[in-house]
Amino acid sequence: METNSLLLILILISSLIPGILILLLDEAQAFQRNFLNLFGAVAKVALVGWVFVGYMQGETYAFIYGLAPDLTFALKADKMGLLFAALSSVLWLVTTLYAIGYLKGGKHQRRFFAFFSLCVTSSTGIALSGNVVTFFVFYEFLTLSTYPLVVHRGDDKAVEAGRTYLWYTIGGGTVLFLGVVALFVLAGPIYFGQTEIIASLVSENTLQLTLIFFLMLSGLAVKAAIFPLHGWLPISMVAPAPVSALLHAVAVVKAGAFGIARLVYDVYGIPTSEELNLLTPLAIFAGFTIIYGSVKAFYQDDFKKLLAYSTVSQLSYIALGVAITGVLSATGAVVHLVHQGIMKITMFFAAGNVAETYGFYRISQLNGIGRKMPLTMGAFTIAAFGMIGLPPIAGFVSKWYLGLGAVEAGSYWVVLVLLASSALNAAYFLPIVYRAWFCEPDQKEVLPKYRGPFEAKALLLIPVVLTGLFSLAAGLFAGSNYSPLAIAREIAEKLYPNLP
Amino acid sequence: MIWLSVIILPLLAALLTSRYPSGRRNAGPIFVLASLPAVGLGLAEVPGITLDWFILGTQFSLDTPRRIILLLTGILWASSGLFSGTYLKDDIRRGSFNFYFGGAMAGNFGLLITEDAASFYTFFALMTFASYGLVIHSQTAAARKAAKTYLVMAIIGELFIISALFLAVQSAGSMLLSDLPPALANASNGPFIFLLGLIGFGVKVGAIPLYFWLPLAHPAAPVPASAVLSGAMIKAGLIGWMHLAPVGLVDWPSLSLMMISLGFTATLGAVIIGLLQVDPKTNLAYSSISQMGLMTAFLGIGLYGGIPGSLLLPAIALYAFNHGTAKALLFLGTALPGKVGGYWRILMWLGLGLAVLAIAGGPLTGGLWTKYLLKTFLSKTSLPGIDVFAYLLTLSAVTTTLLLSRFLHILRQVESPKESKTPSFILPWFFLLLAGGWWTMSPTLLPEGLMYQILGEKGMMAFFWNPITIWAALWPIILTAATLVVVFTLKSSFLNRWIKEKPLIPPGDFLYVILWIGNLFEKQIQKVIAFMHSFGESRHSAEKIIYKFIDNKKTIQISTQAESLLRRWEVVGISFFIFFVALFFLLR
Repeated sequence: METNSLLLILILISSLIPGILILLLDEAQAFQRNFLNLFGAVAKVALVGWVFVGYMQGETYAFIYGLAPDLTFALKADKMGLLFAALSSVLWLVTTLYAIGYLKGGKHQRRFFAFFSLCVTSSTGIALSGNVVTFFVFYEFLTLSTYPLVVHRGDDKAVEAGRTYLWYTIGGGTVLFLGVVALFVLAGPIYFGQTEIIASLVSENTLQLTLIFFLMLSGLAVKAAIFPLHGWLPISMVAPAPVSALLHAVAVVKAGAFGIARLVYDVYGIPTSEELNLLTPLAIFAGFTIIYGSVKAFYQDDFKKLLAYSTVSQLSYIALGVAITGVLSATGAVVHLVHQGIMKITMFFAAGNVAETYGFYRISQLNGIGRKMPLTMGAFTIAAFGMIGLPPIAGFVSKWYLGLGAVEAGSYWVVLVLLASSALNAAYFLPIVYRAWFCEPDQKEVLPKYRGPFEAKALLLIPVVLTGLFSLAAGLFAGSNYSPLAIAREIAEKLYPNLP
Repeated sequence: MIWLSVIILPLLAALLTSRYPSGRRNAGPIFVLASLPAVGLGLAEVPGITLDWFILGTQFSLDTPRRIILLLTGILWASSGLFSGTYLKDDIRRGSFNFYFGGAMAGNFGLLITEDAASFYTFFALMTFASYGLVIHSQTAAARKAAKTYLVMAIIGELFIISALFLAVQSAGSMLLSDLPPALANASNGPFIFLLGLIGFGVKVGAIPLYFWLPLAHPAAPVPASAVLSGAMIKAGLIGWMHLAPVGLVDWPSLSLMMISLGFTATLGAVIIGLLQVDPKTNLAYSSISQMGLMTAFLGIGLYGGIPGSLLLPAIALYAFNHGTAKALLFLGTALPGKVGGYWRILMWLGLGLAVLAIAGGPLTGGLWTKYLLKTFLSKTSLPGIDVFAYLLTLSAVTTTLLLSRFLHILRQVESPKESKTPSFILPWFFLLLAGGWWTMSPTLLPEGLMYQILGEKGMMAFFWNPITIWAALWPIILTAATLVVVFTLKSSFLNRWIKEKPLIPPGDFLYVILWIGNLFEKQIQKVIAFMHSFGESRHSAEKIIYKFIDNKKTIQISTQAESLLRRWEVVGISFFIFFVALFFLLR
C-alpha cells in the first residue's frame, strides 16, 4: 500500500486502536487508559496536520478498496473533508483532556473512553469518506458509537434520552439508507465531486432525483437538527458535559451538516440542485429553524438546555449557507462548520465547569459567577458574543459572509432571518453575561466543590480557555492565509469556478 | 507600528490598570500614555497601512475629518483618563472601571483610523459594548435601568448598522469605506441603505427619535466616563454617517430635508426638556443632543445641491471638535464645585464660563469660528426653505446659552467645601481647558480650501476683530444674559422653586411615551408572548406522531429489548472490533 493511502488509514486507526485497547483494559487502569487516549488524540492531530500540509502542496490522498462489484470502500482527502477532519481531531484532543478531568473518579470510564474514541473514528471517517456508501457506513457507526455516551449516566432520564436519540437517528439512518440505495440503483457508485453523473441524468429522471434528494436530506437533517427533526438534541443534553460538548460541536450534529454540504456540493452539484429547485425548501426550513431554535432557547432556564436549543439554531446557519447559491454564502456555510464548533464547545465546557465546581445548572443561579470563575466565564463571554455575531469573534465572520451572500443572491429575507437571530441570540445570551459579571452573588454563599490554585480543575480549565482563544483568534486573524476562513474561501471558490 | 499601537496600547492599559494593583494606582498616567499615539496621528500625517491578516483584512488610514475627530478623541481620553485616575481613587470597582474604560478607548480610536467596513464595525462594537460597563459602573438601580436601555438601543443600532453595511459593501463590491458613498450615490437603493445607516448610527448620535437612552446613560456613568461618552464616543455615530453619506454626489431632497428638520427639532427641543432637569449631567446630556442635532442638520444639507464633501465634512468635524472639548470640560466640571475651594474656585468658574461660551458660540471662541464656518454653507445650497434654517441657527445660540446658564445655575447650588483643599484632578481639567476649542482655529487642522472659503483674502485676525462678527456672536448671548438677570432679580426664587427636587419631565422623556404605549397594549402583548410561549412549550405535531409511536406498548417492548441488547456495550464493542479487524485484513 502506498504511503499516502496508508496515512488515511492511520488517521482512522489512531483513535480506533486506542478505543479497542481501552475495552481490553481494566476499569482501574486509569493511567494506561489516559495515556492511550491522549497518545491517539495527539497522533491523530499530527497525522491530519501532515495530510493537510501535503494536500496543500499538491499531494493526493486516496484509498479505494472494492468490497463487491461497483461497491467500494473509499477514503479520499479533499479540502472540505480535511477541514472537518482537522476540526474533529483538534477538538477531540481538547475534549479528551476535559473528559479525563471531568470523569475522574467516576464509574464506567472504560466504556466511556472506548466509545468516545470510536465516536471520533466515525466522525473522521465521515470527513474522509470518498463516496456516498462509505459516508453512509461511517454515518451509521457514529449513531451506534454515541448511544452509550448519551446513556452514560444510566439513570432513567438518560435511558429515556437514549431511546429518543436512537429513534430519531436510526429513523433518519433508515431514510438516508433508502436514499443511498435508490441513488446507487439509479446512478451507480458516486464518488464525491463527480457531480457530472447526476447532471447527466437530470433530464430523464427529474422526479426520481428530487425524491432521492429529499430522502437523503431528511436523513441528514435529523443529525443536523433541522426543524421538525431536531427533537432528540435538547433531550440528549442529559449526557455528561464532555459528550454534549463533542456532540454539539463536531461529532453528531456536524456530521449531519457536513453531509448536507456534501450532498449539495459534491453529489448533486450546485447547478443540478438549482435546476431541480431543491435549495429553496432547504433554505426555508433552515431559516425557520434558526428562528425557532432561538425562540425556544429564550425560554430555557436550564443552562445546557438553552445551549442545546442554541445549537439547533446555529447549525441551520450552515444549511442556510449551503442553500443559498453564491461563493460568499458557501464560504459562510463552510466556515461556520468550524466556527460554530469552537464556539459551542467553549460554551458547553463553561457550563460543565460551573456545574462541576459550584453545582449550578440553572441560569438563575449564575449571579456573580464571573468573579468566581473569571477565565471560564471570560471564555464563555467571548463565545456568546461570537454567537450573537459581534466582531472580532469567529461568529461574526460567518455571519458577515452569510449576510453578504444573501444580499448577493438577492434573498433579502435571509438577511432579516440573520438579524432576527442576532437579536434573539443577544436576548438569551446577554442575560447570562449580565448575571455573571454585573450581579451580586446570591445571599447564600455556595462554596466550590473544588479547592486548589485555580478557579476549577486544571484539566477543566485549560480546554475552555483554549477553545475560547480559538474562537477569538479565528475571527481576529480571519484574514490570514491559514485561518478557517481562508480555507473555506478556497473551497467555495472551487465550487464556483466560473466566477472571475 | 504607530497605527497598531493606537489600538494595542489602550487594550494593554485596560489589562494593566484592572489586573494589577500598581497599575490601578497609576491608572491616570497609563491612560495618558495609551492615548498618545492617537493624539500623534491626529497631529501629524502618517501614510496608511494594510494588514491582510487582521480580521477580514484591515486598512488603517485617515482623512481630514477623521483626523480632526481623532485628535479630539485622543485629547479627551487622555484628560478624562488622567482625571479618572484621581477621581476614582477610592472607588472599590475601580479595576472594573479601568477595564471597560480602556476597552472603549481602544474601540473609539480604532473605529476612527480604520478604512474598511469590517474593522470599522469591529471597533464600533467594541466601543459600544465596553461602554456598557461604564454606564452600569455604579450598579445602582438607576444605573442598571440606564444600562439596560442603553444596551437594548445599542443592539438595535448594531443590527441596522450591519444591515446597512451588508447592502453597501455588496453594492460597492468593496470593503473600503471610501468606496461606499459613491456606490450609494449610484445604487438605486442608495437612499434606503443610507436610511438604514442613519437609523443605526443615529442611536449613537442621539438623533430624534432614538435619543432617549442618552439622557439616562450619559449621566449614569462616572464623571470621566460621561465626559468621553458625550464628548468623544457620541461623535463615532457622526463618523459612521459620514462614511455612508454621499455628500456632494447626490440630490436626495427628502432625506436631506428630513435630516435638517429632525436636526433642528433636536437642537431646539432638547433645550426645552433640558431646562426642566435638576441634575447637571442630565442637563448636559440634553445639550449634547441639541448640539448633535445641528451637526445632523448640516450633514443633511450636504445631501442636496452639490456641496463638496471635502469642504463640508471637515467643517462639521471642526464643529464637533469644539463641542467635544467644551462638553467634556463641562462634564468633568460637574465634579468640581463640591470639591474645589479657595482661589481655585474663581479659576473654575472662569473655565466653566469659557466652555459655555465656546458651545454657545461666543466671540473669540472656537464655537464662533466653527459655527460661522458652517453658516457659509447655508448660502451655497439651493435647498428650498433654507432661510428658515439660518434663523433657527441664530435662535439656537440663544437657546444654548439659556440651557447652559441653567447648568451653571444648578452647579452654583452645590455647596463649596468647608476646607479649601483642592483635588488634584483639577489639573487635567485645566489641561483640557488649554487644549480646548481654540485648537479649531489652528492651521494644523484646517484644510487649505476651507480656510480660503471663509476668510477669503482677509486672514483670521480680520475675521475675529471685525465688529460685525463680534456683534453677531454677542447679541444672542447678551440677550439671554439680560433675560436671565431680569428673571433672577425680579423673582429670584422663581427658578429655585420651579424645579429643584424633581425634573419636570423625567430624563429619557420619549422612553416613557414608549413605555406608556407599551402599557396600553400590555394585554395584547402578553397574549402574543403567551402564544409564543405555548408554541415554544408544546410538542409540535411531527414530534407528537413520533411519540405516539414510541409510547405504543409493543414498540416499547421491542425497543426495551433491543435497547437492553444494545446497551450491553460488549456486544456493540465486539461487533465494532470484528468489523474493523475484518476490514483491516480485507484491505491488506
